[in-house]
Amino acid sequence: MASDRLSITFAALADPTRRAILACLASGKASVTELAEPFQMSMPAISKHLKVLERAGLITRGRKAQWRPCQLKAASLKEATDWIEYYRRFWDENLLNLKCYTEENL
Amino acid sequence: MSPTDTIIKEILIHAPAERIFDALTDPQQRVRWWGVKGRFQAEYMESDLRPKGAWLMRGMGMDGKPFTLRGEYRSIERPQLLEFTLLHSWQENASPTLVRFELNEKDGSTMVRLIHSGLVTEESRRSFQGWPWLLEQLHTYIEAVPAKSETAE
Repeated sequence: MASDRLSITFAALADPTRRAILACLASGKASVTELAEPFQMSMPAISKHLKVLERAGLITRGRKAQWRPCQLKAASLKEATDWIEYYRRFWDENLLNLKCYTEENL
Repeated sequence: MSPTDTIIKEILIHAPAERIFDALTDPQQRVRWWGVKGRFQAEYMESDLRPKGAWLMRGMGMDGKPFTLRGEYRSIERPQLLEFTLLHSWQENASPTLVRFELNEKDGSTMVRLIHSGLVTEESRRSFQGWPWLLEQLHTYIEAVPAKSETAE
């Protein structure tokens, strides 16, 4: 059910450490050691976060225990910090909303 | 203003400019259409519609976290021009962005031009590190139906 998936994924993303882990993965860090380093967290603590992300389907473990973000369609990771892209899509939808709203009841 | 830090969009709406201007400026109406399905919903807005007047909008994001958008009106020329600044609550120290709506009515239909500028500053890049990408990926991820994620080895 889409909404359950959404809850699980949002719960995974609700934590700032996990969001930062995803950002690290986007920049190429892959091993648990590399990921743990910036947070100065214990391995078990980091592993716990990684499990949550994995369960949410956001990351996957390849060979040699290297983690990587799951391949999601569209947007390249390089556009990760492109705020403009976010707003572009926001306006596409928002303008359509404005159109539907103002055209009805006329 | 470099071309890459400005969004320009146009949409033709089959409604008079006055109607659209009201939808943009009347708080009761604004909260009814402003938002992104499945991502966030505007719930409340207050607006002091005059140059340098403040506006504020509150809503709830999908993650259950409330958000606030605020800004100031710059130009108000009913019904053809509306310009205001816009700042997210999680954009604490960034400079506000500028949103401009140009309404051009002809034969009962209106061409609406949206210009959103001032988006790319060093501060905003830093504040939004990763977050908008995550929202986008989440959106696309949810749309992507298959429960198993595809990975390349």
